[in-house]
Amino acid sequence: MATTEGSADLPTGLKPNAIGFVDALVIGLNATSPAYSLAAVIGPVVALVGIYAPGVMLASFVPMLLIASAFYYLNRVDQDCGTTFSWVTRAMGPWAGWLGGWAIAMTGVLVVGSLADVAVTFALLAFGLDGWVDNDLVRQVLTVLVILVMTALCVIGTELSARVQNVLILAQVACLLIFAVVALYRVYADTGTLDSVRPSVEWLNPFGSGGASLTAALLLGVFIYWGWESAVNLTEEVENSATAPGKAAVWSTIVLLVTYVSVAVAVVAYAGTTFLADNAGEEEFVFALLADEAMGGWHWVVLLAVSTSALASTQTTIIPASRTALSMARRRALPQPFARIHPRYRTPDVSTWWVAGIAIVWYLIVYQLSENALFDSLTALSLLIAFYYALTGLACAVYYRRRLTESLHNLLLIGLGPLVGAGLLAWLLVESVVDMSDPANSYSGVAWLGVGPPLVIGVGIALAGVIVMFVWRFVSPAFWSERPGVAEPEPQHGEEH
Amino acid sequence: MTVVLGYDESAGSVRALHVAVEVSAAFGDPLVLVYGAAAPGSLGEEYAAHHQALVDAGRSALRHAVEVADEAGVPTTVEIIDEKPAQALLVAAARHRARVIVVGSWGESPMRGALLGSTPHKLLHLSRIPVLCVPTEE
Repeated sequence: MATTEGSADLPTGLKPNAIGFVDALVIGLNATSPAYSLAAVIGPVVALVGIYAPGVMLASFVPMLLIASAFYYLNRVDQDCGTTFSWVTRAMGPWAGWLGGWAIAMTGVLVVGSLADVAVTFALLAFGLDGWVDNDLVRQVLTVLVILVMTALCVIGTELSARVQNVLILAQVACLLIFAVVALYRVYADTGTLDSVRPSVEWLNPFGSGGASLTAALLLGVFIYWGWESAVNLTEEVENSATAPGKAAVWSTIVLLVTYVSVAVAVVAYAGTTFLADNAGEEEFVFALLADEAMGGWHWVVLLAVSTSALASTQTTIIPASRTALSMARRRALPQPFARIHPRYRTPDVSTWWVAGIAIVWYLIVYQLSENALFDSLTALSLLIAFYYALTGLACAVYYRRRLTESLHNLLLIGLGPLVGAGLLAWLLVESVVDMSDPANSYSGVAWLGVGPPLVIGVGIALAGVIVMFVWRFVSPAFWSERPGVAEPEPQHGEEH
Repeated sequence: MTVVLGYDESAGSVRALHVAVEVSAAFGDPLVLVYGAAAPGSLGEEYAAHHQALVDAGRSALRHAVEVADEAGVPTTVEIIDEKPAQALLVAAARHRARVIVVGSWGESPMRGALLGSTPHKLLHLSRIPVLCVPTEE
């Protein structure tokens, strides 16, 4: 057989030098999809902790930052094979790895319905079709259609060009900041339409409210930074990799934090506590209501930003979920059909359609059963995110355990940091589970099987995963013969960089 | 000079393989077999798993193509390039000083091809050297 010349210079992962500063900045912002995250989460968070919402926004970033360090170092061991599923399998064996993969795929599946719903709702509001939003049938049919169309685009492998994405994401962040500035200006100029309150430094205290509402809000806060770690992972593929990537990661973080905190401050200040209390039942639409109040005739700008952000995110969520399924199937952790690659489009079509199918079924069920579907599914989602982030943090420390004592840098960034992050998330997880097991603490006060709905959803998904795992363990034991490994100490240099 | 063929085991490319083998034999040129392994959607988690799946698919496709060419006594070179198919063919054509690029078409309507992105369609516009487009058999 002839030589395989081409494969020698196959880059692993991303193409080197393919990404500049702006792209790296945008990727960091895009991965978290700030406009959608804010629109989805700001209402519930404000309903939970009131004026301390900005503080919660800041505090939730801490575990994310620590876990991002774990992602960064695990990415260096295994650039070929992606994320949580393969890393955790490598560090802690097949059982933990499988559950991590399940959690990551399920988070993708669960959020798609909410993304599409927000995209549809905010688009309708932007075009002044408010009546359609209140009609559940119309909204749900449109949402299912959006999921189907976006999935078809993922299967075909069509993506917006990088430049269009850059423009869109920068425009979204600009819209959010404009909203914050206009709202705050009107607060100080006393031209607000509501009982506004002037911001105070105290709002930045995350522990201001305390108790069950604080843990619930912090858990939601984890959701808004979800995906941020992918910005950190880009580092080596960026042009001028000595400076540009680090700068881009730092800048995307600053932009993100400034956006979240300033919008949270603006929302609380402009609306005032009475408005927020009066509209507590409407928290799905608090952001839309406020955009309307603060921006007047220009509110469609903010609404459209949220809608495009959610729409773009459906694609960036479906693809990783289907690729995780692909990756699991390729290692025989899932049935072989999930590994199928469509010959024409070269995408994992079976996994992708499964993701969409489960997402649609899930969306329809939750929106039929739940009084506050968005809040319940986001909270359940946050439980899963906290679980797989904590698992990744733990995996990092476990995998590098023999190299932690090589330097203070290793001990802090590879060992202690990820462990503390994992510990914080585990604490949030346990606290929230305890709180939610009392339905009185759940947001709507509704009980499913005697406990809060998000807990039923979260535990249900975890249990479904365990059952599927055991069944597959006995049907196809191949994956379970994988053994955990460990990073051996480096003979000379403690660090690669 | 060489003959460059894009091969992915689709019906069109199987026929294109036979045409390319004939062309290579006629000119006495070696045949360069190309598979573009870039996954659609270059960013995001588990990209590498997707990419690796495509590289595996490309390896197995090209192995079969090499067997066919070997039988006809045409010397071959295999290129798995981390670009999308059309771009991969252009890269390989430049690298191997190609006389002609041979590709199979899916025999789709022009509208479908334009919407879904068709490799022959892109090549016909982008390539600086002749492109031989082979339709699927009836």
